[in-house]
Amino acid sequence: MLSSTVIAELKSAVGADGVIVERNQLQTYECDGLAALRTIPAAVVLPRSTAEVQALVKICARHQIPFVARGAGTGLSGGALPDAAGIVISFARMTRILDVDIPNQRITVEPGVINNHVTQRVAPHGYFYAPDPSSQTVCTIGGNVAENSGGAHCLKYGFTTTHVLGLEVVLPTGELVRLGAPALDAPGYDLAGVFVGSEGTLGVATSVILRIVKKPETVQVLLAAFDSISAAGQTVSDIIAAAILPSAMEIMDRLSIRAAEVSVHPNYPDCEALLLVEVDGSSTEVEIQMQQVRAFCKANGAWEDRLAQSERERMLVWKGRKAAFAAAGRIAPNYIVQDGVIPRTKLPIILEEIGRMAEETGLLVSNVFHAGDGNLHPIVLYNASIPGQEEIAIDLSMRILHRCVDHGGSITGEHGVGKEKQQAMGYMYSEPDLDTMQRVRCAFDPQHIANPDKLFPRPRLCGEKTGPYHPHPLETAGIAEYF
Amino acid sequence: MIEQISNPHRIATDLAAIVGSAHVSIVGDTVAVVPENTEQVSSVLRFCNRAGFSVSAVGGGTKQRWGTPIQSKIILHTRRLNALLEHTWQDMTCTVQAGCTWSALQNSLAQHGQFVALDPLWPDRATVGGITATNDSGALRLKYGSLRDLIIGMTIVLADGTIARTGGKVVKNVAGYDLHKLMIGAFGTLGLITEITFRLHSLPVHLKSFTIISPAAEPLGSLLLQLLDSHLNVQSMQLRTKGDVFGLDVQLSALPEVLKDQTILLSAIAHKAELSIEEACAELWDNRVLSFTGSDVFTMKATMLPSDIARFTRIIHDLGGTAVTQATGIMTASLPVTLEHQLPQLRQQFIDAQGSFTILQQPASTDVDLWGPMPDSFSLMQRIKQHFDPNRTLNPGRFMGGI
Repeated sequence: MLSSTVIAELKSAVGADGVIVERNQLQTYECDGLAALRTIPAAVVLPRSTAEVQALVKICARHQIPFVARGAGTGLSGGALPDAAGIVISFARMTRILDVDIPNQRITVEPGVINNHVTQRVAPHGYFYAPDPSSQTVCTIGGNVAENSGGAHCLKYGFTTTHVLGLEVVLPTGELVRLGAPALDAPGYDLAGVFVGSEGTLGVATSVILRIVKKPETVQVLLAAFDSISAAGQTVSDIIAAAILPSAMEIMDRLSIRAAEVSVHPNYPDCEALLLVEVDGSSTEVEIQMQQVRAFCKANGAWEDRLAQSERERMLVWKGRKAAFAAAGRIAPNYIVQDGVIPRTKLPIILEEIGRMAEETGLLVSNVFHAGDGNLHPIVLYNASIPGQEEIAIDLSMRILHRCVDHGGSITGEHGVGKEKQQAMGYMYSEPDLDTMQRVRCAFDPQHIANPDKLFPRPRLCGEKTGPYHPHPLETAGIAEYF
Repeated sequence: MIEQISNPHRIATDLAAIVGSAHVSIVGDTVAVVPENTEQVSSVLRFCNRAGFSVSAVGGGTKQRWGTPIQSKIILHTRRLNALLEHTWQDMTCTVQAGCTWSALQNSLAQHGQFVALDPLWPDRATVGGITATNDSGALRLKYGSLRDLIIGMTIVLADGTIARTGGKVVKNVAGYDLHKLMIGAFGTLGLITEITFRLHSLPVHLKSFTIISPAAEPLGSLLLQLLDSHLNVQSMQLRTKGDVFGLDVQLSALPEVLKDQTILLSAIAHKAELSIEEACAELWDNRVLSFTGSDVFTMKATMLPSDIARFTRIIHDLGGTAVTQATGIMTASLPVTLEHQLPQLRQQFIDAQGSFTILQQPASTDVDLWGPMPDSFSLMQRIKQHFDPNRTLNPGRFMGGI
């Protein structure tokens, strides 16, 4: 609970209509896309400007109140999950596009701007904003920055960090700084580079300078049906070995195809593995490369292929893939979607392992993945009303992530660590690795109030030294305990 | 911190216990040490950090004159950490030790038709670690990005000997902070890089270079923006001073059939602007190395928006300097020593245009401000340094603002 003094200060900073303290209104903010984890915050604030954001963070710094920023709340790892004693800084009222510079291929936006709106704004000039998470019609740039969001097209175009040139950031200390710049290689440490993907633990962005990309002349998507995942996977390998860089390559398994069909009716062929390959570039280039891609599909036994050439046809093909997670809700009462990465060549092995592990638990796992970069999304299907099944599902999803790490991969390719995978960080990284990252955190947030209970398995007290254990002064004084 | 008698002989003995006496030598008042692996680097740094000795890492020594000149007690040579540890060509990644020269790395990767898509200065001598610590980049950056886009993982050793891994071996990875980005361009002040994992690309096969000449820079600047806005497969593009005139170099990279079509298109665009265009040789893409020759020049790296490239190129030219600027907005230029007192004003012009102006090398006779005014994030940078290297063991004073 926040004291009346603090609430008064918050109201002074953003106006009375910018502060929510009523419980039933606060409930809207109790979770993000990871609905299993819910906590009602002490207050929600809705600033309208950088100055207001800075005032809010200064209040938090003064009173040591934990805070977390929130965009659309579509995150899948609990990154926007509030602290019960903390506040949520919602960017719902900071949705302006501040500057558009087409000749220099840059656009500056407030963090509450929806991802897809950036593309819409620059499309008339023949440009687009490349990172395209499946939630792009809803999710915001601020959230994309926090998670370093990817999407299907990051194989060719890179991630959010590739497209963020600079940011204005309010640090957890209340300082307002500029990280990066409109021009490349701002002198000094690459603070923008470490800030993107830091999941709200290093501060709050209040404006972001983004890079936009020229829309390619031609885009085509090929859909190919295979009798096995390994045949589809081999096709992907052949395409890459031929030095073709498609703009996207996706594979869906039988279960996820069926779910998508029930949900949005993309009319996919009913097969064991569906491969989507998108190629873009100049017309001649796309013609030649698509021919090669088709040949590889046939050589690996594709028994049907369809080429989508018009914008409308393409959208329909992608509709099914982009609805894949939500579609899972059609074939099972509950699901957990995971986000592991493995070296691309290990794809057949990990899928076989997932199949085996799933069978052992008696649960179904459908698979959708970004085949080009080895980022898989196993969707564990279960029924929460059956006692114990949710625990089994969570455990299975975590064991899948551990296997990804064992194969030289990562626990998260795009959804972030958040709350959900904080313990798994300890599986992927050693103590010295985590400790080194925490040094960065302490430099930005010495009081540990920026989205504090996320990302790392154990918060490091910022005065800690590494090496043999030395009691912290607070412990020696009997004020704190070391868990 | 214990004060030690900084007798080189005493230090050499202690270091010899870590790396073997054959790999320690005394050079005047400093001690050179050549560890063979990450663990030895860790032990060396831990020893130096405890004893209060400053350390500078050296790879190929090609950029020793860059940054603020300092003299560290210990010079750590990385030449024995020179192996390509792993090249998983099917996954298009590789892991290499920091002391490997760029050319040696690329020659190995070429065996599978792959490369790290970066064209740094002095590739035969410069090492992976030094190139990374200085964030060098060239003409390939337009298409492929810089080191922050090409590096997916790193092993670093901190001043206190902590060995930490950041990132991983897969391109798509958002687990934890991108610490490796912090190391890129940090001039070795936060940690010593011992291994780097790169994402790789297929070597481009069909390339064609052209030069368009003009007596004025502005028409070339407009052409540059026009080409950035086009559908041509421009891999590299740079605007440079060329004696009394200016040149715009363009490199196209595409399948042969496409290359033919695009050559015709490019020529048409040039002719429409009433400019002559000629085919050019690939060597001109290393043009920026010329800015580093001569002992009586300031060599600078300046950054700007693409729309300012022509204007600043003309300004440098009118001052009697030479410049080559990538279409990304990164300029490498040289200015005669006589311009020493005009540098602050020149710097301010770049800053006013939202860019930057850093002097990489200066003549021995001058002592100008290399870095310019500190950004508003500078105290944050100082705090990061404080957390990573509280004893200021690593390259103290080499970087901006005395970091």
